[in-house]
Amino acid sequence: MTTAYFLILALLTVSWFLVGRQRASSIAGADPASLHSLPSYHGLFLAALICLPMILIFIVGAPLAERYIEARAFSGLDPATISDELGRSAVLRDIQSVLAGNYAGTATPELTTAASAYSSAASITSWLLLIAGIAAALVAAMFGFRLIGPEFRARNSVERLVKYILLACSAIAVLTTVGIVFSVVFETIQFFSKVNPIDFLFGLQWSPQTAIRADQVGSSGAFGIVPLVTGTLLITVIAIAVAGPLGLFAAIYMAEYASPRTRSIVKPILEILAGIPTVVLGFFAALTVAPFIRGSGESIGLSVSSESALAAGLVMGMMIIPFVSSLSDDVINAVPQSLRDGSYAMGATKSETIKKVILPAALPGIVSAFMLAISRAVGETMIVVMAAGLAANLTFNPLEAVTTFTVQIKTILVGDQEFDSAKTLSAFALGFVLFFFTLVLNFIALQIVKRYREQYD
Amino acid sequence: MKKLLSTVAVAAIAVAASLGAASARDQIRIVGSSTVYPFTTAVAENFGKTSGMKTPVVESTGTGGGMKLFCEGVGEKFPDATNASRRIKKGEFADCNKNGVKDIVEVLIGFDGLSFAQSKTGMPMKLSRKNFFLALAKEVPDADGKLVPNPYKNWSEVDPSLPNEKIEVLGPPPTSGTRDSMHELFMEPGAAEIPAMKALKEKDAKAFEAAWKSVREDGAYVEAGENDNVIVQKLEANPKAFGVFGYSFLEENISKLAGVPIDGVAPSFETIADGSYKPSREMFVYVKKAHVGVVPGLDKFVAEYVSDGATGEDGYLAEKGLVPLPAERHAEVSKAMATLEPMKGDELK
Amino acid sequence: MTDIASTNDIPVTDTPRDALVKKRYRAERRFKFYGIAAIVLTALFLSVVLLDVLFKGIPAFSEYRLDLKVVADQALLDPQKTGDRTTLLAGNYDKIIRDALAAQFPDVTTRADRRALNGLLSSGAADDFRRMVSNNPSLVGQELTVPVLLSDDADQFLKGYQTNEIVLKGTGTLTQTLNGDAYALRSSGDDFGKAFQEIQAFLFQRLDRLHTEIARLEKTLQGMEGDAAESLRGQVDTYKAEAETLNARISDANTAIELDDKLPSLLVNVNGGTIKATQISPAGVDGTKLITPKSAEPASPGSWSILTLVTPESNRRVQDQAATWLEQLKASGTIERGFATRFFTSGDSREPELAGIRGALIGTLWTLAVTLILCLPLGVGAAIYLEEFAPKNRLTEVIEININNLAAVPSIVFGLLGLAMFLNFFDLPRSAPLVGGLVLALLVMPTIIIASRAALRSVPPSIKEAALGVGASHQQAIFHHVLPLAMPGIMTGTIIGMAHALGETAPLLMIGMVAFIVDIPGGITDASTVLPVQIYLWSDLPEVAFQAKTAAAILVLLVFLFVMNAAAIMLRRRFERRW
Repeated sequence: MTTAYFLILALLTVSWFLVGRQRASSIAGADPASLHSLPSYHGLFLAALICLPMILIFIVGAPLAERYIEARAFSGLDPATISDELGRSAVLRDIQSVLAGNYAGTATPELTTAASAYSSAASITSWLLLIAGIAAALVAAMFGFRLIGPEFRARNSVERLVKYILLACSAIAVLTTVGIVFSVVFETIQFFSKVNPIDFLFGLQWSPQTAIRADQVGSSGAFGIVPLVTGTLLITVIAIAVAGPLGLFAAIYMAEYASPRTRSIVKPILEILAGIPTVVLGFFAALTVAPFIRGSGESIGLSVSSESALAAGLVMGMMIIPFVSSLSDDVINAVPQSLRDGSYAMGATKSETIKKVILPAALPGIVSAFMLAISRAVGETMIVVMAAGLAANLTFNPLEAVTTFTVQIKTILVGDQEFDSAKTLSAFALGFVLFFFTLVLNFIALQIVKRYREQYD
Repeated sequence: MKKLLSTVAVAAIAVAASLGAASARDQIRIVGSSTVYPFTTAVAENFGKTSGMKTPVVESTGTGGGMKLFCEGVGEKFPDATNASRRIKKGEFADCNKNGVKDIVEVLIGFDGLSFAQSKTGMPMKLSRKNFFLALAKEVPDADGKLVPNPYKNWSEVDPSLPNEKIEVLGPPPTSGTRDSMHELFMEPGAAEIPAMKALKEKDAKAFEAAWKSVREDGAYVEAGENDNVIVQKLEANPKAFGVFGYSFLEENISKLAGVPIDGVAPSFETIADGSYKPSREMFVYVKKAHVGVVPGLDKFVAEYVSDGATGEDGYLAEKGLVPLPAERHAEVSKAMATLEPMKGDELK
Repeated sequence: MTDIASTNDIPVTDTPRDALVKKRYRAERRFKFYGIAAIVLTALFLSVVLLDVLFKGIPAFSEYRLDLKVVADQALLDPQKTGDRTTLLAGNYDKIIRDALAAQFPDVTTRADRRALNGLLSSGAADDFRRMVSNNPSLVGQELTVPVLLSDDADQFLKGYQTNEIVLKGTGTLTQTLNGDAYALRSSGDDFGKAFQEIQAFLFQRLDRLHTEIARLEKTLQGMEGDAAESLRGQVDTYKAEAETLNARISDANTAIELDDKLPSLLVNVNGGTIKATQISPAGVDGTKLITPKSAEPASPGSWSILTLVTPESNRRVQDQAATWLEQLKASGTIERGFATRFFTSGDSREPELAGIRGALIGTLWTLAVTLILCLPLGVGAAIYLEEFAPKNRLTEVIEININNLAAVPSIVFGLLGLAMFLNFFDLPRSAPLVGGLVLALLVMPTIIIASRAALRSVPPSIKEAALGVGASHQQAIFHHVLPLAMPGIMTGTIIGMAHALGETAPLLMIGMVAFIVDIPGGITDASTVLPVQIYLWSDLPEVAFQAKTAAAILVLLVFLFVMNAAAIMLRRRFERRW
């Protein structure tokens, strides 16, 4: 039914578009300039007039029709079988499979009757819906058709509609943020009604696996995020220690030294690296890097945990190199040539120019590049899920296992949807902190970039 | 025009989606224990292959988490069955009833030993349940029999015959049935062997219970999440760590891991089946009778589960590490499942 | 990178006055070197990742099959002779295959042995047979050769991942003496001497480990008292006794050594049979049969061999007996290695040899379809609005900041949104591509908006102004002139956004796309998973064979990503215009 309806809708839309256009051209006759709007705008105007009521009628009518069909189908059935939601949906499924001819086994007479009632009701309502839709559309179209004339400002109406549609599109982005905030804030508030925010923010112990039954003693349910903060920080610091120098030097080389050919080779390498899914890097970190670090650590007599922060941090550092380098590349390129020329004129070498002139000038931009890279590292999930641990150790030793915000969110929420325990809610509180933190970081970084751009533009 | 068409397409999708969601589910959905997960997925796969119906969707959520979902209500939004590596608790049964999940069919599928395992590359260890308790309890009796926070850092401090290595045990979180079993099969009997604890049990049963039901939280016991495979991987990487999980996982990884003998008996297929390996437990699948006939194939799925080909002595689940029931017991279960007799619930604790 | 050099190689004369200049040039070269080093390191890392995955993944694209001659027995497949497809689907194909396999090994009589033999076969071994017969009922009753899939363990063994094998051809004449069940094998040449030495070396290693442990324990024992010391002493004594016996086993270069399952296995292939050594001395081995030799005649040099399986039996999943069977089947030429089409045509499975990525691939397609349909029109629409129509006011500024920030929100937070909004609030089905697509659409929309805006901005204003100048309306100028010119850029941005969505895992974990799903999803509301999540699921499984499957799935994912990125680059190269 849905398909037929929308097919007809499309058909009507297209045909009335043609009709409208034709009508407008014929009114204009030999003098197209006599029309206020181009003929195709008149067509579009009619098409929109067809479309809107038909969609509206479907959105209102389809659920009503559905309800009516179900009522008709159920009317002949034993009330016991359809006493609850479960029975009803089962009967509906059976009816649909009977109608589709793939019912397993032989259908009972009642079921067959119900199926025929269902199908007759379905055909009646779908015809009704179709007729209503078409009628409404035609009425609207006739109304629109009468408006067509040299004076009619069809273009303005259509353009107004398009503008609203475009506005709605960009509003989606805002709605997404609102949605995120709503979905984490409510649960977070609920969480804080169970756990003191002070304990949450400053507690030194993270042990969320509380008992889930009255007769069970789980862990005490400590929700202090300090170990998670230090864990996240440790891995991020390692990542930045790797990505910072590598990314920055790569960017300097690319911007200042590399020939166009070198750039055309190196750029794709960085792009490929940026495009590798993090689940792949996680697999690599867990199965190749972590055992390697462990093996080499043990061979020089260090005790290395099987899921050291170092392994996750190193791979994450590699992941964010492209971020650092491409952002820094941009800001270095944005430094005006006049500064360079000035420096060269003083007899400075290229590296001296870079160190003494270009980098200081580009510093704000580089700082913001680092901040964006940090926010990326903090929010990264798969690498740490696969290569870092679950043990909430409060340590700064990179050879030990630590855990992060994202790992905990994933661990708590996968396969668990119990929205009344502090444990589940804590994941949303973590998500909130994460969201807030990255938001602030990005905001600051973007402001710096903006100001920096203004400085040179 | 383009804009218009794309708007229409979006609307069509939204509407189609809302209609699609309205018709009932024809695919069985199962949640629950990660220990039973490998067995249920194997049965599901076989069921899908031979019955011509859709293969059930199995999600691993832990016994406790699964029970919660299972007991939330009757209807297509809720799972049809849940895996459990322990019996349903009285409280959970009451929860179920409260939410309208009245007729629950209990399917006993076999046994699993709870094993304490280490990497093959590590130094082999032997352990008693008493030492297990002393190493992992949150509070242990000191020299005067008073409960103090667990002071032991290394195994050799618990018992000098044990290696002088840091205590590092990876085990399940409280949502897991394996965790419950760990308390009931390791901690409680272990505690009962210590004179000071025995005295406590007579004096204050509540305090005794709290003692064996609490695990230390200072890093010696690491909750490794619901997925037992993760523990296996971690053990492989770290020869000094130990892990607590179902025997089936040990069996699957016997080339890498070794079971630590508990009270002198190493876990094996034979020792679990004949009962000489003490920490062993029954495994269940719970099914909603109300969903039988509603979700197609649910009864057939149960029949497949209790068939000789699956849970029988030479069934394919035995190859996956499930220790099958004795022949008569299995025959009994298969017979009872033919009628899908719901459980009464008064035998639970 | 050959053309980087020689921009600064200005000759410097070697006078003291120029020392500073020299130093400065050295610093210059050093600085440049850092840049090259950074790039080389990054490239190195990338190639290590790719090679590592490639190396791990390639084996998963092949599988070992056994070509088995079977009779499609009417009584077992279709006793009523209905010829009906459903009856044929339910036939007992496993029994036919198992019996046919057992017939090749007359030695196999006990139940335990039969179980071990059947363990060589995959639990889906009969799938191909079933498909052949049910598609062509006329095959019933005929004799056929069917491909039978081996189990993952057997497959891994044949691919050489379970143990290293060393084959030594016999140089002397081998005589067999049968004493009850025990075989005594003696060679006229020095064939067993080398094997004996290796076993000895193995035992010495073990002895060393024991001695270290004893030394450690004795050190802790010093100054200890009481029960604890007592039990520790007991431990030390046990170890000492063990060391003693071990010492005795290897003390003499000529005493025979007992072989247990913690030592490498020695298998002697002679006269079509296989003897497993239980005791070895430089002169020869004593052992038990795994496959009975066809004759007891002495074997001439070169006609027999010693096969050493280096990994001890207790550390292997394929036992000596099974290994022998596999070796014999391989020698008889009935085992073949073929391309694993199954990997692309079947859904997930708990058996590594049966698991495939089709379900995940189709799930990915559905999910990405939903994503694309939603985010392309919305993203482009938003970009046009913001770039061209939005009034310069606070609201617009808020939207702009918002979109920039949204682009950097961690993906897992979008998962939280999906869980709380779409699943809990709107009650959409769990694990469905519909929800996955919605979440991913919101996730990549900022990327598309930003790319589209950049593309729109890169079209020179003169184009628009010219259009306006000849009387086009604002919208006409945009839709008729600016947008078509910006289209390549928009498409590039969209492809890159979709590639991003294709690789995304974390938010999908939150909305239940991590279940065990075998069936191929048939629509956007069916339970399904996607490729990256499948990779994550497989990477967590304990079976070694799944590691290769994971890497193989990664390869497939990477191929898709490269194709998409290459398309984006092509598009950019082809249509990029410098104004």
